[in-house]
Amino acid sequence: MKIKLKIKRSAPLNESEPFFQAFSIDAYEGMTVLEALLKIADEDDPTLSFRKSCRSAICGSCAMTINGHARLACNTQILPEIHKFGEVILEPLSNHAVLKDLMVDLAPFWEKMERVMPYLTPPDAENTAKMTSEDEAKIDKSQQCIMCGSCNSECNALEIDEHYAGPAALAKAWRFIGDTREGFAEKRLDKLSTEHGMWDCVRCGHCTQYCPKNVAPLKAIELLRSRAIKLGITDNHGAKHALSMTNSIKRVGRLDEAAMTFKTLGFLRSLGMIPFGIKMELHGKMPLPLILPQIDGMDEVKAIFKTFEEKDKNKEDSGGKS
Amino acid sequence: MVNLKYAYYPGCASKEITKEADKATRLVCEALGIELVDMPKANCCGAGLLTDYDYELSLALNARIFAEAETMSLDILTICSTCLMVMSSANRDMKNSESELNLANNALSSAGLHYSGKGKLTHLLWVLAKDYGLEKLSKKVVKPLTWLKVAPFYGCHSLRPSDALGMDDPQKPWTLDAVIKALGAQPVEYKGKTKCCGFQIDLVAEDTAVKMTGKRLIEAKTRGADCLVTPCPFCHINLDNYQGLAEKKAGQKIGLPVFHLAQLVGLALGLSAEDMSLTRHLVSAEGIVR
Repeated sequence: MKIKLKIKRSAPLNESEPFFQAFSIDAYEGMTVLEALLKIADEDDPTLSFRKSCRSAICGSCAMTINGHARLACNTQILPEIHKFGEVILEPLSNHAVLKDLMVDLAPFWEKMERVMPYLTPPDAENTAKMTSEDEAKIDKSQQCIMCGSCNSECNALEIDEHYAGPAALAKAWRFIGDTREGFAEKRLDKLSTEHGMWDCVRCGHCTQYCPKNVAPLKAIELLRSRAIKLGITDNHGAKHALSMTNSIKRVGRLDEAAMTFKTLGFLRSLGMIPFGIKMELHGKMPLPLILPQIDGMDEVKAIFKTFEEKDKNKEDSGGKS
Repeated sequence: MVNLKYAYYPGCASKEITKEADKATRLVCEALGIELVDMPKANCCGAGLLTDYDYELSLALNARIFAEAETMSLDILTICSTCLMVMSSANRDMKNSESELNLANNALSSAGLHYSGKGKLTHLLWVLAKDYGLEKLSKKVVKPLTWLKVAPFYGCHSLRPSDALGMDDPQKPWTLDAVIKALGAQPVEYKGKTKCCGFQIDLVAEDTAVKMTGKRLIEAKTRGADCLVTPCPFCHINLDNYQGLAEKKAGQKIGLPVFHLAQLVGLALGLSAEDMSLTRHLVSAEGIVR
């Protein structure tokens, strides 16, 4: 089947404007995007730049934007794309500077990775080998990362804030913080709880949706956050936000917007919200504190909370970390 | 045609700050003959923040919502994408893993409750696009919105994670576009339609959140939109209530009215702007509602 592949070409060094170029190829059943690119580079245009190595979704080199979203070229077939979208459009990964054509500068990706110190630091030399398979299961997914950069390319927080730690590095952070042999989990979580850290995730779910290896970075971020709260690292807006939501449900079974704003931001920053609050009130949108009715059956909600509080207490008494 | 009847879960936002969405939904469903039954016991889903606090507690409290619907022998209908995502994700986990269902039920038993793990959840958007049907919907339209170019704002939680949600296609979403067409309006195509509004970090990293909101609005406007429509009250809070802050940050006037899904449907069904509580929006829709 004769099809057209539209490829975004850029050569920032030439200071030329990026443009789309169409290449016509014979696509066969099972042909991957990478196979098509190799054919084009071989037969039509040897200057076409893209990264590749293993061709079997192991090395993570060939991630690019295929019909709008980050995927591996070696892991995506041409014909299903044609059937679904009517065309195949190839662009470099988003959220990264383009070096040439489909190649981006991954230096920021590696810098973010290095910043979470991706290596195990046991408290003492003897404590390096003990781990049950149950313990391992908790960090299993986060070990499957092939560093392709798809998640960081899709991340909406990173799209706006280039300093954000990003899903790849945070999933890697959980791989070590969630490791029972790690000795400095608390220190690591302290560091991740600062500005541009793990609480800046917008929960857009792109990372988990498009990861080719099912690493589920958003789940890792949730686990990091839970661990930080349980360890008492709560002096930041993100943890306060989660805590005030939880307390609101425990108290009235539902969200108490006014209390939540106040508890998350604190007194002084809440004062800054007053002009906005007045504008909201003019449209009848100001949430009213204190008169919030609670849901029916609060005794049930309280009983459920109690079972978990007892669980946490038992864990503390037995000396184990949650 | 089977009678459509659901246990109605508007979500916390539409009980207070976006209660216009709740009112519009009730009126629209009445006009279409979709029956909604209130859930007086339903607790908050946790909006993801409860999952941050404790995943297992979140499972149990979401199981409690499904357990209530089970006693009513009804599927749940929500009008909030975040509730949809949180509850669907919990439900997926309990369906896929017996140990997680047991974990939730152990906690529920302390409150004398039980959940079978077989509950179903849908969104008003999906009901209109599929169960009620687009053809039937367009036949009910008495005032086709032919003059309106509407930018669909799917946002995140009606699309991802697709393994929990299962209905729309995150790479090629169609439900909201199809409903806009059924109402006689013209959908506007733009990249930001499946991206994040910024709501989740409004109180955590306001600068990033407001810039994000502005970016989505400005893109929709540049592509020729007269207004936006969203199936999520949290997206509405950012796109409408935070639009003034977004304008300040971006240094440009945007002025795009934002509708809740039910409001746009209501207007096309001939319900009044007053019934749809349009004055509750911070960005006025006066110029574009006829």
